[in-house]
Amino acid sequence: MTSPARPARWGVGPQQRADFWTGARAIAPLMPGSVVFGMAFGALIQVVGLAGWLAPYASSTVTAGASQIAIVEALRQGAPAIIAIVTALVINARLALYSAALAPIFAPFPLRWRLALAYLMTDQSAAVSSMEAERWPDPVRRRWFILGVSGPFVLVWILGTAAGVILGPVIPESWQIGFIVPLMFIAVMVPGLRTWPAVTAAGVSVAVVLLLKDLPYGLNVLAGALTGITLGSFVPDRKGNRPGEIPPEAAPEAHDP
Amino acid sequence: MTLTAFIVFTLAAIGTYAIRLSGIVLLGGDRELPPRVSKALALVAPAAMAAIVANSLFLDAGEWRAFGAWHIAAIVAVAVALWKRSMGWTLSLGALAFAALLLAGL
Repeated sequence: MTSPARPARWGVGPQQRADFWTGARAIAPLMPGSVVFGMAFGALIQVVGLAGWLAPYASSTVTAGASQIAIVEALRQGAPAIIAIVTALVINARLALYSAALAPIFAPFPLRWRLALAYLMTDQSAAVSSMEAERWPDPVRRRWFILGVSGPFVLVWILGTAAGVILGPVIPESWQIGFIVPLMFIAVMVPGLRTWPAVTAAGVSVAVVLLLKDLPYGLNVLAGALTGITLGSFVPDRKGNRPGEIPPEAAPEAHDP
Repeated sequence: MTLTAFIVFTLAAIGTYAIRLSGIVLLGGDRELPPRVSKALALVAPAAMAAIVANSLFLDAGEWRAFGAWHIAAIVAVAVALWKRSMGWTLSLGALAFAALLLAGL
């Protein structure tokens, strides 16, 4: 594994192209879920009555599905903008964990690569990148591999969103496509519920959301998430997970671009 | 509402990018997060997703959703998720159960 002698500025050599595609193939099994989730978000934007272009806009800028849905739900309930934003940022706080885990892997990359790869970071690409990185000791080859893991995944997410906007109005109301929201998050969350702190966080969160259902502006969601995180962190880990580690068995299943 | 949504998405995008950069920029590879902080961050996903599930499944615009296809299909999905530990299986069988229940008139 040697780095190419002269990394051309625009020309991408065959080695880099190959490493990029190796990365794309590593994450390909997770792409269908991302497309379906994107379609659900695009359809949701239509159902709520927002302009269709907002869906691919949100998917290519926020690029985190759970928070995008939370924003739409908050706005639908007439929440002030600040509450919608704070709710989204609380949900996305988990990305800070991935960012910390990826810091040593990204450390040898040039700044513009770190800025770009951070932009493309998702639950799935962070998990695949951190698991595979040790097989890429050469930083140049590693960054092309991680670009292949991250970029195409975000691309199919955006395309799925656009497809959802186009298909959304065609789907009859009797299909109750809104069910995709709880279904998607059950599929993302439940397979990864393996530790007592995580189970506690989820259980407390559900209870608080329902107990505080009469709070305005969807604040019950924010309150549930924060209470769940707080109480869950008092529960001791039985498995002794190392902090800062993305649980390898859970993370690749997390389908939240 | 479209303008508000545009502004909200834009500000959320800026904030989310800052979160994505945080560790990469601040830690630089040789420092680690305090254990307490990483544990809390690891719980954000289950807590936040459970909150969204509860809000969208049991409630409908702030009122209790009448028991029916939504709840039953969700039970199927949770059971499949615990059994197969796979997102693909959970999604497909959950959607299949929901479609069957709707066709059955629930």
